[in-house]
Amino acid sequence: MSTIELRSVTKRFGDLVAVDAVDLGVSAGEVVCLLGPSGCGKTTTLRMIAGLESATAGDILIAGRRVNPLPPRARNVAMVFQFYALYPTLTARENLAYPLHADRLPASEIDARVRRVSAALALDAVLDRRPAQLAEGEKQRVAVGRAIIRDPSCFLFDEPLSRLDSQLREEMRGQIKEILTGLNKATVIVTHDQLEALTMADRIAVMRDGRIEQVATPHDIFTRPANLFVAGFIGTPQMNLVPATLVGHANGQARFRIGGQESALEVDPAVAHLRPGSAVTLGIRPRSVDLLSQADGSSLAARVDLLEPMGAETLIHLLEDGHDLRVVVNHQVAVEVGSRVHVRFRPGQVHVFDATERAVRA
Amino acid sequence: MAPSSIARAEPSPTAGWLTPTVSNWRLALLLAAIVLPVSVLTLPVATAFWLSLAAVGLVAVTAIVNAWGRHPGSLLVAPALALLCVLNIFPLMWSFGLSFFHYRANRGAAPTFAGVENYARVLTDPTMWERLQTTALVVVLTVGTQMIVGFLLALLFEKEFPGRRILLMLVLTPMMLSFVAVGAFFRYYYEPTFGLLSQAIKVVTGKPFILLETSAGALAAIVIADAWMWSPFVMLLVLAGLVSVPRYLYEAAEIDRASWWRRFRTITFPYIRSLLLLALLFRTIEAFKLFDVVFLITEGGPGTSTETIAVYVYRVAFQYFRTAQSSAMAYILLFIVIVLTSLYLHLARQRTAEA
Amino acid sequence: MARRNAAHDIRDASWGRTALAAVVSLAYFFPVLWIILTAFKTHNDALAIPPTFLFRPTLENFVTVFWRSYIKGAEAVDTGFGLFFFNSVFIAGVSVLLALVIGTLAAYGFSRHPLTGNDTYLFAILTTRMLPPIVVIIPIFLMFRVTGLSGGYAGVILLYTAFNLPFAIWMMKSFFDELSPDVEDAARVDGSTGARVFAKIALPQVTAGLAATAVFGLILTWNEFLFALLLTGVNTRTVPVAMAQTIGGDIGVRWGLLAAIETLFLIPVIVVTFLLQHQLLRGVTFGTIKR
Repeated sequence: MSTIELRSVTKRFGDLVAVDAVDLGVSAGEVVCLLGPSGCGKTTTLRMIAGLESATAGDILIAGRRVNPLPPRARNVAMVFQFYALYPTLTARENLAYPLHADRLPASEIDARVRRVSAALALDAVLDRRPAQLAEGEKQRVAVGRAIIRDPSCFLFDEPLSRLDSQLREEMRGQIKEILTGLNKATVIVTHDQLEALTMADRIAVMRDGRIEQVATPHDIFTRPANLFVAGFIGTPQMNLVPATLVGHANGQARFRIGGQESALEVDPAVAHLRPGSAVTLGIRPRSVDLLSQADGSSLAARVDLLEPMGAETLIHLLEDGHDLRVVVNHQVAVEVGSRVHVRFRPGQVHVFDATERAVRA
Repeated sequence: MAPSSIARAEPSPTAGWLTPTVSNWRLALLLAAIVLPVSVLTLPVATAFWLSLAAVGLVAVTAIVNAWGRHPGSLLVAPALALLCVLNIFPLMWSFGLSFFHYRANRGAAPTFAGVENYARVLTDPTMWERLQTTALVVVLTVGTQMIVGFLLALLFEKEFPGRRILLMLVLTPMMLSFVAVGAFFRYYYEPTFGLLSQAIKVVTGKPFILLETSAGALAAIVIADAWMWSPFVMLLVLAGLVSVPRYLYEAAEIDRASWWRRFRTITFPYIRSLLLLALLFRTIEAFKLFDVVFLITEGGPGTSTETIAVYVYRVAFQYFRTAQSSAMAYILLFIVIVLTSLYLHLARQRTAEA
Repeated sequence: MARRNAAHDIRDASWGRTALAAVVSLAYFFPVLWIILTAFKTHNDALAIPPTFLFRPTLENFVTVFWRSYIKGAEAVDTGFGLFFFNSVFIAGVSVLLALVIGTLAAYGFSRHPLTGNDTYLFAILTTRMLPPIVVIIPIFLMFRVTGLSGGYAGVILLYTAFNLPFAIWMMKSFFDELSPDVEDAARVDGSTGARVFAKIALPQVTAGLAATAVFGLILTWNEFLFALLLTGVNTRTVPVAMAQTIGGDIGVRWGLLAAIETLFLIPVIVVTFLLQHQLLRGVTFGTIKR
């Protein structure tokens, strides 16, 4: 049974619908990331689970119990805030111990737990400092420590790594994942950083404008995006989204007109159900495009517009008929700006999105 | 040591001190420090005034010249300090000087030197100590009431609710009244025959209620009027603190299931502590000076039971015309207030250092 | 299954709070309300036993404020209250403004360019407020007489400015202390002079403090009585002084008249406070807290 369950949860602020009929389930031990751009409703959803916002409609269940009327303190959840929310006048030790007072544990027990958490998060050296004297990373670890020192039904993280620099972020990503796996509780993490979501989550829920666009494992989100938005949101550099027209299909391949050229591509069989002449959008990731030395039957021609060296790889911007295409190749590939090249989309890696922006897939 | 010019750095500590240049503000200060007391003590008032003004002006000018371009702080601060000096320090010094003389304003005689006689007489005057006691009582009662009521009011107005803005304005209105009006009208309320209070109580007990009859009653009358006027002031300051607490701290405490008391102690109180202290400071200083309300409502009565020190000083100065003595008394009061204030500030600074 | 989940508890709590606040506000406002009501009563109504809440309102008190006829049927004599009101507005307005300007500059100096002995200066400034005015009244009175400032506008305005300075300086300093110096430093690096940094960057951020100082200063100066009594002349008299003089009358306190004066006198203060309300609350909010 899911430890957290959201059934058609909606949040309205006056006329503004911040969260629109969201359904989501999180099992014990599972880490679900709410991923999306700012304003998509992910933080509001998180706060509704915590009880810091009330749901306008729908049901929120934690550990099988409907918690809508319950205040946060009665829900037994632990939360790590974006701004850490460390109590400024208390030491790190006292911050860590704070939640335990409500359980009226004996001082020895509290002490033992604090020591355990502190050791796990390498905070021993700074236990007696106040938040103002802590480094950003240390503050973050105290915030995490304060959450994990309890035994709540679930963990809620609000953009936990957003304030850290990239190196710290990398470190903490792995550490948090490790800790969460060890604790085996339902966890919801809100983030706008797709890399965070891809590495830490068991499942990702991509949100836009209050709705969940897709819930799937990181792998599925990446390889089988449900619609145009998810496809464009996940993956760096961004997936190429090329408007095209379906000309026809035969022999397991579909022909598309892209700009002034035509190409036959191997796509999902469900594309066969589309009517020839329909307008579609083709999605192809920059790393799924090959540069050819000469044209072949299904290749497309384009002119090199810009080169962006990225160290071990190079990002090539191609331009043709007003459409642009980004291709990532190994840095050793030699290309000149202004030259014409031939590209081929790798078979099976082309996503087709119909006019309603949904992926056409069996 | 070459004579310093305006563009050079400060004169060296020892020899430069006495060089009379336009930028030597230290010398000017020294001069003023000598001129002021001497002139106040020896010369007639008018001359002393103009001389002191000249000395202060000299200090200001040298400070400004010295500071021009280099110490912007002094420049910005100088006008304020100068104004305060002339209008506050000078009269203070004059009164202070006067307290060492025999002088009565209603007799034309020139002041004669009395040394510390005035102070001796005042310090051994039992009336004075009585008045101080009364004042202390009034201060404790009215400041205490204001702080508690103000704090409670702040708690009430902390969260947003319908009508908050208007009701807040209404609560602030007592502060805006003129003391004369407050005094007169509260007197009217407390009036035994047609006063509102008496009439309200008459409905219950059937007898006219004379609040000002007993000393306790009179005390209550004063405390009520004063606390009524100024508890909104405390409220505003505490409210400022309450509102400045970041919301997410309360949310974290809510999630951590902290009790109300814990939440207050660890989150709220640190934020309002400095403002509480500020309110306490200002209100205590004002309470010691309490004159208008007392004089207008009870005139120090019944008898002299509610006569605060400020009222007593007034009487001594303007009714008995023992002007110099009243100065001495006032300075003792000032001394007490300074000691108390320093204590507060010291405590406040200590606490913030801990935090 | 979507169920409407109204946050009943939150809304109920709000109205409960409103009810309580209404009662409390009424308790505070009641005496003020009484004064305002009394202004509209005839003399007999004002003294009525039991006190009346329903009465026939009259404007005669307000008329009497400005014109007074000594003998029935004779011409009304201008009481000069128009002038007194103007004096109050002028004197309070100018002195508060001056205190604001001088005080803010000084506060900026204390905050951004601390001198040695900063704390001593600040404490000394505070002590100027500690003495009962009674004591300094004589030297100041004499001082004013000697310098010819007595009875004119300049002297009183200067004095009130000096009264308002300590509060202005303490208040504005705590606001400036609150600002992060980074923005100013950035501007200085970009080449702005000290004056521009002050005017364009520091000042706009402390408008709330300015509002708070202005309102408090105004309230204090507006109602000041003692010094106004001794230092203003016939032409520069302020309303509180004039009010006190009306009290001493041949038929005892004319409550209606007094109430009318006070009511009129309240209006400017209330208006100013109302206009600056937003800034005032923000101001007191960000005032003296070190985050």
